Amino acid sequence: MPETAATAIEFAGVTKRYESAVAVEDLDLAIPAGLITTFVGPSGCGKTTSLRMINRMVEATEGTILIQGEDNRDRPAHELRRSMGYVMQQAGLMPHRTVADNIATVPRLKGASRADGRARALELMDTVGLDRKLAKRYPAQLSGGQAQRVGVARALAADSPILLMDEPFSAVDPVVRTDLQNELVRLHEQLERTIVFVTHDIDEAVALGHRIAVFGEGGRIAQFGTPEEILRAPADDFVASFVGRDRGLRRLTFASGQELPMHPLEGGTASGLERPWAPWELLLDDAARPAGWRFGEREVTGGTLFTPGGSLREALDAVLSSPSGWGVAVDDAGRAAGLIASDDVMAAAGRERRSRYGVGE
Amino acid sequence: MGNLSTVGHLTWLHLLQSVLPVVLGTLISIPIARFAAGRRARGAGGRRGAGRVRRGVVVNAAALLYTVPSLALFVLLPLILGTSITSLTNVIVALTLYVVAMMVRSCVDAFESVSPEVLDAGTAMGYRPLRAFFGIELPLSVPVMAAGLRVALVSNISMVSVGAVIGIQSLGTLFTDGLRRDLMAEIVVGILATVVLALVLDRLVTWSAAALTRWQVRA
Repeated sequence: MPETAATAIEFAGVTKRYESAVAVEDLDLAIPAGLITTFVGPSGCGKTTSLRMINRMVEATEGTILIQGEDNRDRPAHELRRSMGYVMQQAGLMPHRTVADNIATVPRLKGASRADGRARALELMDTVGLDRKLAKRYPAQLSGGQAQRVGVARALAADSPILLMDEPFSAVDPVVRTDLQNELVRLHEQLERTIVFVTHDIDEAVALGHRIAVFGEGGRIAQFGTPEEILRAPADDFVASFVGRDRGLRRLTFASGQELPMHPLEGGTASGLERPWAPWELLLDDAARPAGWRFGEREVTGGTLFTPGGSLREALDAVLSSPSGWGVAVDDAGRAAGLIASDDVMAAAGRERRSRYGVGE
Repeated sequence: MGNLSTVGHLTWLHLLQSVLPVVLGTLISIPIARFAAGRRARGAGGRRGAGRVRRGVVVNAAALLYTVPSLALFVLLPLILGTSITSLTNVIVALTLYVVAMMVRSCVDAFESVSPEVLDAGTAMGYRPLRAFFGIELPLSVPVMAAGLRVALVSNISMVSVGAVIGIQSLGTLFTDGLRRDLMAEIVVGILATVVLALVLDRLVTWSAAALTRWQVRA
């Protein structure tokens, strides 16, 4: 996780009041530069309103929002908006413009020539992993995942250090969504923009955010911190209930599984027993990669794998999903490297818990 | 065969009287309809009381205009405009009013057919209102607008004939003249010419709309 440097966006006493209701109340928040900050919370908690106040799609009733130290009302709204990328739910592409023209929207608004806009669009299609052949298609001819990538490319075309994303992946199926999330993390590492990402999904918030702002009812921030802090020590009952029942399990995402004892495939040494997983037998393919388990005559598909540098959560899942009850660890090349015992995972989780609270072994 | 050139001349007059009002009426209807449709981007909070009233007043006023009988309008307009009853201006103004009566409704529907998310995206990208209107809203309302335009055009072509009753030259003259002189052939030619004119213009509108909306996915 990159170190906190400067503040990119600062909310100072920001309130948004509608005729009948308060959407956001007295919000103070400093969004660090170069990191992904997620706004998460139940619907109607003011997270989207807060995002939209950054580029003045919604005007704040009170308070100021500073963008890199500058009041966001110092510039005309349209200029401010052209200076930040914005990705919305359902992509929000212009149905009457081709993919390339959609991506080139902001450069064209800023006065770039058609040819320059198009060249930039093609570059950005490479950046977000879109086939250049799609450049002349219309949005209606794209899949949901492709449309969302075009949305991201269009936002990147603003060439701004700030990217605002309003539940961008909520309308695509879970598999594509995971792809897009991984892609976003990769893009962020490559481009180092400040990203503000709104989601109602705590898993997404944890997976993407370097910082998480949990919004509570009535537009106040219930907790702001790293994902680990929020899962480990929810500030109040609201945050605890929002981060959910699985938070014990999710927390293990932040505990390294590196210290786990590795039982050699041949058995013996570490456990002191001869192949403690017998009568199960681990099958390997020609490249020494795990290929399932055998029990007598039966061959069964294997479970998830523990990869180098994996978390305790990954180790626990490898154990729980394995037919033999022994998790399979692999090396970088995917070759079976050893086996993990469930007792060892539980012991590691216990050590991690004691050290977290500073209680001795 | 002076007949052919007469039919040609009458067709030209008919064309002028039907197309010009449609063009003028549509150009007048677009701003009126845009005003009636109101602001529609997300975050505008949906249509509130005032907006709904405005839409209702405009759409119903336009519909009311359509209930004025065409013959009465042809006779009444010269009193207001100071033109002679048989002048072309008279007919064109009257028919433009009818086109406005029809197209305001169509254009309101057309603007309301544009997804608010797309308008919202335009604002978020940094479009200013005027550019958003011509660059996003108007092109996206073409499909619904074109449907209304076809109806207005075809009904206008038939309405032009009514002018013949008070002596304004058009293909309708072939009906009045044929009736007076008891010439069946003349009436049939008039009907055929009118139908052909309507079909050709309708196709033209359909093709132009298709060319402007290639972005729509067709099955």
